[in-house]
Amino acid sequence: MTKKTFLHDEQVKLGAKMIEFAGWIMPVSYTSIIDEHKTVRENIGIFDVSHMGEVYVSGKDSLAFLNKLVPQDVAKLTLSKAIYCQLLNKAGGIIDDLIIYKLEDEKYLIIVNASRIDEDLNWMVRNSLGFDIDIENQSHNYSLLAVQGPKASDLMEKLGIKKENQPEFFSIKRAELFNINVFISRTGYTGEDGFEILVRNEFSELLWNYIIKAGQEFGIKPIGLGARDTLRLEAALHLYGNDLDEQTTPIEAGLTWSISKTKTADYNGKEIIQQQLEKGVNKKLVGLKMLDKAIARHEYEVYYNNEKVGIITSGGVSPILGENIALAYVNNIKDICTGCIVQVKIREKFYNAEIVKKPFVQKKNKV
Amino acid sequence: MSITEGILCSKSHEYVQEKDGKYIVGLTDYAIEQLGDIVFLELPEVGAEFAKGEVFATIESVKAASEIYMPISGKIVEINETVVDNPEILNESPFEKGWLVKIESETASVDSVDLLEYDDYKEELA
Repeated sequence: MTKKTFLHDEQVKLGAKMIEFAGWIMPVSYTSIIDEHKTVRENIGIFDVSHMGEVYVSGKDSLAFLNKLVPQDVAKLTLSKAIYCQLLNKAGGIIDDLIIYKLEDEKYLIIVNASRIDEDLNWMVRNSLGFDIDIENQSHNYSLLAVQGPKASDLMEKLGIKKENQPEFFSIKRAELFNINVFISRTGYTGEDGFEILVRNEFSELLWNYIIKAGQEFGIKPIGLGARDTLRLEAALHLYGNDLDEQTTPIEAGLTWSISKTKTADYNGKEIIQQQLEKGVNKKLVGLKMLDKAIARHEYEVYYNNEKVGIITSGGVSPILGENIALAYVNNIKDICTGCIVQVKIREKFYNAEIVKKPFVQKKNKV
Repeated sequence: MSITEGILCSKSHEYVQEKDGKYIVGLTDYAIEQLGDIVFLELPEVGAEFAKGEVFATIESVKAASEIYMPISGKIVEINETVVDNPEILNESPFEKGWLVKIESETASVDSVDLLEYDDYKEELA
């Protein structure tokens, strides 16, 4: 059974083209993916991302429990701050990538991928033995709106939250918008400055419409999952299921920056992660820019010197660069590095691509 | 005369229209609308022959790549170079400027039996 968010009818009214995604009926685009993409880069866009999951972990062992699940050091997380993490299996493979918010001393909010809620919860419960904690899946009670773009902060000010009171990058705050209680975090999945607003389902439609109305002067438009994908690809942000999976470790995925090298607590997969940190890994995630006119897509093969050396995990167009870009896992050998030319096999033909630095488009979210 | 007059459509959303003894083949406005922003087209060489139902071209929107099937059998006599260079034309004008190939076909009348006239095609989609 596919599920509808509480904003489904509003989106249809706005002319959204709906598709199925991770068991949900979601808007893929309203007008055009390219137009929506540029709207977010230049002005401001609003996304319904209510399919994402919300899990609360509370109790006196919350910190110890979370520290067992992720390679990041949750002990470093201070009140109202957020941290990007990966839920690892015993082999260091990524069960999901998520953001953990510290709401109170013994209460954390975790935002997880829609497609992984069940796996995440099962894994958390399996790991919970001996910990004095509560795991509460609140996904069915909350809607999540993302307001993203260079004018997001101006809009938030218009909504009554002065810039000096807005949460900082990767922080969360309780607030009232139009007398509705919300959590506002300075996070997103576009590479732009922006906010994610967590609101109880019964108020999401009201809030959505209020924000769109107030945002008119900033050029706000509703944005679908299509542009969400092209935006995150330009920013080289990983998509679970494409760029991350249970057979891939955070080191291989280029997420070493997010891992604590000093964490003393034991965590699932620690042995493998430490081994990979010391000895290196066999595959690495690289950015590709197509030199020939062709679009690399998920699962296309990558060749170097007539040998298969990798696979595209995400690929498409970059509306901002006007070029075709991709992320690929390639063999971690010296010859295959930035500036080197590889070939992507597309419909039995080979097309040249250059390995380039990520992200493809400079991120502007650290305010 | 409406631009869709004389246009026959396949279930897989290709259209064919006879003009001066040749057949113009393209993708219907419905197909283009579903695909969204068109960003890439790969068309066959002039002279290539395809049977009805065979893949003869590839179209890519921002979202994904899709194959395009021959609505009737025939030989490619002309391709629309302009849309290869400017695929967004398909979004603006799928019927007039956004045609894909022109073909010669000996079997057009037989091959067309399961194609729908544009109005019936639209009705079937509704």
